[in-house]
Amino acid sequence: MSPAALVHSLAVGLVTGSFYAFLALAFALVLAITRVLNLAHGELVVLGGYIGYSLWKAWGLPPLLLVPLAALASLPLGAIWRGLLGRVREPVELNSLVLTFGLGLLLQNLMLGVWAGDYRLIAGDAAPPLALGGIALPRGRLLVAAISLGTVGALHLVLTRTRWGTALRATSLDPEAAGLMGINTDRASLTSFLLAAAIAGGGGVLFATFHYLHPAAGVELTLLAIALSILGGVGRLSGLLLGGLLIGVVEALALTWAGPEWRELVVAAIVLLLLLLRSRGLVAGRGH
Amino acid sequence: MADPGGGGGLGKERRRSPQGGPVSRLGVGGLLLAVIFPFLAGFHPYYLYLLGTGFLLASLASAWGLLAYAGQISFGHAAFFGVGAYTTALLALELGVTPWLGILIAGGAGALAALPIGAAAHLLRGAYLALGSLAYAELLRVLALNWTGLTGGGAGLIGLPGLHLGGELEFARERAGGYYLSLAVLLLALAVFALLRRSRVGLAWAAIREREERAQLLGVSPTRYKLLAFACSGALAGLVGALYAHAVRFIEPDLVFGRYFSILPLIMATFGGLHTLLGPPAGALVLYLVSELLFHPLLPRLHQLPYALALIGVVFFLPRGLAGLLGRR
Repeated sequence: MSPAALVHSLAVGLVTGSFYAFLALAFALVLAITRVLNLAHGELVVLGGYIGYSLWKAWGLPPLLLVPLAALASLPLGAIWRGLLGRVREPVELNSLVLTFGLGLLLQNLMLGVWAGDYRLIAGDAAPPLALGGIALPRGRLLVAAISLGTVGALHLVLTRTRWGTALRATSLDPEAAGLMGINTDRASLTSFLLAAAIAGGGGVLFATFHYLHPAAGVELTLLAIALSILGGVGRLSGLLLGGLLIGVVEALALTWAGPEWRELVVAAIVLLLLLLRSRGLVAGRGH
Repeated sequence: MADPGGGGGLGKERRRSPQGGPVSRLGVGGLLLAVIFPFLAGFHPYYLYLLGTGFLLASLASAWGLLAYAGQISFGHAAFFGVGAYTTALLALELGVTPWLGILIAGGAGALAALPIGAAAHLLRGAYLALGSLAYAELLRVLALNWTGLTGGGAGLIGLPGLHLGGELEFARERAGGYYLSLAVLLLALAVFALLRRSRVGLAWAAIREREERAQLLGVSPTRYKLLAFACSGALAGLVGALYAHAVRFIEPDLVFGRYFSILPLIMATFGGLHTLLGPPAGALVLYLVSELLFHPLLPRLHQLPYALALIGVVFFLPRGLAGLLGRR
C-alpha cells in the first residue's frame, strides 16, 4: 500500500468512523439505561432513510432539512419500542434480543411492502470533492462526519453538564439507587428510547446520502453498533467515539488491502472478536 | 418467552409415562395423519411439497430446540444449515459424490461448524452467545459470498443432483418421495432429541440450563455438554440444510446462510414451546402453513408477517408457547 493510499484510507476511516459512532450512540444509550439490546437498531436507521427518501422525492427538500424531519417522524417508534420493551421479563438482555429480532423482521417486511425491495439513494448535488493536502474527500461525506461529531459532542455536553443528563447517567449506573434519590427512572428510559429513535431516524437520512437503502441493509449497522458498544463501553461517549474512529480506520484499511466485498466480513469478525475479549458483559459491573 | 436462564428446579422435567397425556396423543395422531396425508390429498404435488418443506423446517426447529434445551439460545442456525447445504452441493458437483453420502457428510460438517461457536459458549452466555452466533452466521455468509473459487460466490450453485429414492422415485420431482423422506428426517430429529432428553446427557443439559454454576459444582462439565449440544444441533441442522439443497437444487449464500434460516427456527421453536419435545415442530408447522396458505396468497410481500407477529405475541402473552396453551412443559 502506498503512503498516499494509506493516508487516504485513514481519512476515509475517520470520516466513516465518526458516523458509526453517531449511529451507535442510539444503541448504546438504550443499552446503558434500560439494558435492552435493540437488534432492530439497523432497521430503524434504514426506515429513517426511507422516510427521508420519500420526502426528498415528493418535495425535493434538501438533505439537511430531511434529517430533523426524519428524526421527528421516528419519535413515535421510540415511544412504541419503549412501550413494548419496558414489559419484557428477566433476563432483559436476552428477551429484548428475541423481541427486537421479531420487531426488526416486522420492520423489514413493512419496508418491503411500502418501498418494495429496490435500492434507493438520496443523491445530493454533485459538488466537487474537497481536496485537503492531497486527499480528496467527497463534501457530502465530510458534512455527514461534521453532523455526527457535532451531535456526539452536544450530547456529551448535555449528559455531563445538565441535571437532566446527570439523571440519565445516574440511571445507567444504578437504576435502583437513582430511583431512591428521586430520579424518575421511567422517564429516563423513555428519554433514551426517544433519543435513540431520533438519532436512528436522522442518521438514516445521512446514511442514505452515501449508501444505498435496502430493507435488509440494517443488519450490518446493528452489528457495528454492537461492536462499538462493546469496544467503547456503554455510557461513555468518548469511548464510543474512539471506538468508532478505530473501527472506521480498521475497516477502511481492510477494504483498501482486501477489497470492498470483505467489508461485512470485517465487521462480523470484529464483533466476534470483541465479544470474546470482553465476554464479561457489556455493562461493566452488571454481568447479565 | 420462558426464561432460559431463570430459576425453577429440575423437578419440572418429570418423566412421562409412554401413554402420556393429550400432547402425546396429539403427536401420535399427527404422525398417523402425516403418513396417510398423501393419499388424502390425492398426491397433489403442491400440498406434498408444502408439507414436505414444513417437515424440513420443523426438523430445523427441533434442532434449535435441542440446543435451547441445554440453555443455549442461538441466533445463527443458518450457519450450520448453510454449511450442510454447501457441503453436499460441493461434494456432488465437484467430486461426483452420491447425494446420499453427501447428506450424511453434511450432517458431520454441520456438527463441525457448530464446534467453534460451541467452544465460544464457554465464555459467552445468554445474550452474548446470541450476538456471537448472529455474527458467526454473518461471517460464514460473507465468506461463502466472497470465496468464489470454492462456492461460486453470489451466483450460487445450480444443477444439484436430485435424490434417487430407488426405482423411478426422485426426491424433488416425485413429491411423495420427498415428502416421506422429509417426514423421516423429522422423526429422526425427534427420536434423537427424545432419547437424549431421557438420558444422562439430557439431565446434564437441563441442569446447565437451569443453573450452570450449580451443575458445575455437582460435577457436570458445562463446557463438554455445551459442545455436545452444539454438535448434535449443528449435525441435525446440517442434515436439514443438505436435504433442502437437494430439494431446491439451487443454493446461494444469501439464501442458505441468510437470516431467514436463523430467525425461523428461533421463532418456530419459541412459538411452539421452549424445552418441549413436540412444541418446536408443531410451532413450525402451524406458522409455516399459516404463512404459506393464508398470507402468501393475500399479501405476497408480507408473508413473513405471521412470524414476526407470532414472536411478539409469544413474548408478551404466551411465554410458554403453544405447549403452554395445552398446559404441558
